[in-house]
Amino acid sequence: MLEVKNLKASIVGKEILSGLNLSVAAGEVHAIMGPNGSGKSTLAQVIAGQPDYEVTDGSVEFLGKDLLELETEERAREGIFLGFQYPVEIPGVNNAYLLKAAVNAKRKHHGLTEIDAFEFLKLAREKMAMLGMDQSFLNRGVNEGFSGGEKKRNEILQMAMLEPRLAILDETDSGLDIDALKAVANGVNSLRDPERAIVLVTHYQRLLDYIEPDHVHVLSGGRIVRSGDKSLALELEERGYEWVREAASA
Amino acid sequence: MKATGFNQDLLRAAVEEFPADEFSAARSSAVAKLASVGFPTVGDEDWKYTNLGLAAEISNGWLKTIIADHGAIAEQSSSEQVAMICQEIDAHWIIIQNGIIGSDSLAELDGQAGSGVSFSKLDFADKDDADDDAMSLFNVALLRDGLRITARANATTDKPIGVLLADSPSSAVTQTRIVIDAGDNAHLRVVEYNLSVDPGRQFTNSVVQANLASGATVDHVRIQNRADDHVGVNKITVNLDRDASYNHNSFDLGGALTRNDVITKIAGKGAAVKLNGLYLATGTQHIDNHTSILHLVGPSTSEEEYRGILAGSSQCVFNGKVIVSPGADGTDSRQSNHNLLLSDRAEIDTKPELEIYADDVKCAHGATVGQLDETALFYLRTRGLGLDEARKMITRAFAAGTLSNLAVTECQDHLAEVLDQRLANLIGDSQ
Repeated sequence: MLEVKNLKASIVGKEILSGLNLSVAAGEVHAIMGPNGSGKSTLAQVIAGQPDYEVTDGSVEFLGKDLLELETEERAREGIFLGFQYPVEIPGVNNAYLLKAAVNAKRKHHGLTEIDAFEFLKLAREKMAMLGMDQSFLNRGVNEGFSGGEKKRNEILQMAMLEPRLAILDETDSGLDIDALKAVANGVNSLRDPERAIVLVTHYQRLLDYIEPDHVHVLSGGRIVRSGDKSLALELEERGYEWVREAASA
Repeated sequence: MKATGFNQDLLRAAVEEFPADEFSAARSSAVAKLASVGFPTVGDEDWKYTNLGLAAEISNGWLKTIIADHGAIAEQSSSEQVAMICQEIDAHWIIIQNGIIGSDSLAELDGQAGSGVSFSKLDFADKDDADDDAMSLFNVALLRDGLRITARANATTDKPIGVLLADSPSSAVTQTRIVIDAGDNAHLRVVEYNLSVDPGRQFTNSVVQANLASGATVDHVRIQNRADDHVGVNKITVNLDRDASYNHNSFDLGGALTRNDVITKIAGKGAAVKLNGLYLATGTQHIDNHTSILHLVGPSTSEEEYRGILAGSSQCVFNGKVIVSPGADGTDSRQSNHNLLLSDRAEIDTKPELEIYADDVKCAHGATVGQLDETALFYLRTRGLGLDEARKMITRAFAAGTLSNLAVTECQDHLAEVLDQRLANLIGDSQ
């Protein structure tokens, strides 16, 4: 589904990704781990199309299309979802209004009719019930005054509504207490699907206790330096990132 | 050169051509007083950013035609826009065309809008003495007609009262004067709509005076939706007695140059003033809002929030003065001014001015100037929204608050629609 080859990307002239390779197939859950500054978030942002990053080399293919040729919104409509580490507060923009506009932008792109207010509400209520979210979320400003846990849950709600083919969740566990973490993890697990791939970007192993990955990759210096199954995450937890770094430079 | 080039001799000669009427004495007196003051210039602190040169130029040209036509003022044709607004906003409408009130519109309305609410032509014999500032004097000097709305004690209306200032360049200069008297515990809701019937150069100068007796409430929405070449100077003076409240929403959407002065005087305990404004500017538009809230006594409250969205090379000014007089203890005043700049060339000059002469007061103020948040735009785009739609969504949200606390809700749908069109223009211009 996603083929990243020799990807190099920089921001204001500084190279962050330096020849990254990653292959993700439908139905898989990948965890991307690594120390601070290793390029985890950059990878997520570059795939989503953050305009501040410049791709200097390599290729990203998504469902057979050249992703780097597409605008941010086109990537989203094609089925890429980025769950933000810091979801953005947009005062005055109603959550329901954004969700409906987003769902319809995607439907339009795929040649489907737009859903009306009634269908939308029905769908939103269904997804919210699944995530254990209060209905009042719909009428609040996007992330406006939300707690850390509410913001992350709202990201998962957006993901559930948009039904992406590939979801990249950037540090979805950061800033969450154990109850919020479980709730978010349950939400993500309920969205696991043979047709859908999920990439979890995380610093800690903790999240992986709740969302079990098929593959774990360790990022260091802008490249994947080690890949394995879920046992790699446990080994990392035990031996620290320094171990991988040393192994990589050896 | 600080002079605006306004020609006082032309004014004197034109006014002499006016037919004698109840305003004659007031007009001559105003002409004489204005002679020593002249139009304000950018050398005056209060007019630092706003140059009335174009207003003077339009005035000089128009005064010449008035002299040539021996005081006759051009008639105005009817307009579809006027009919549309009257239909879209459910109100008792009074149409003032080029400063002249339709003779039948008042008689029809009298008594119909609600018992205790009456409408009449202004009679300067009732000593509606103008303030002595230059533009108020200019207003009286050329005044042909005026409107008085009177609400007796406890009176109220079923629908808002709409006053539509429909001006067209057929008369390049017009003066409007409206006096609102709200008796004890009366409640008046007023929509003042400033409209250009045709495009073209025009200068309008309006004065609104509201006097609120004890416990009276006046809700006043002012919508300025003028044509591109329009120059407008508007002054609103409000006097509040005990427990009175004045709620004002202003929307400045069009015009080449607009200057608003809103002056409120709290003279009775428990009185409350709410001023909310939204200004949208693009191209080379210039919109200047000067507000002044005078707390003469306390406890009393004032709340003010003005928001601006600026595109193109527009320039806007917000000057918010709050004066708390000696002894006005218990004053609670809040003021804010927020601006969204959609272009690097747009300019906002914002200035709070607090003068506090009492001890036991709460006064807060704040101003912000920002651009569209790139992170928010990216966030919306990752949800599949196009760049234009994302810009529109954030910009609309910035303006939305001013609609949600509208003092006269009957205007809401019309305003939402007009704002939407206007915002689309602004975003189009900012690409």
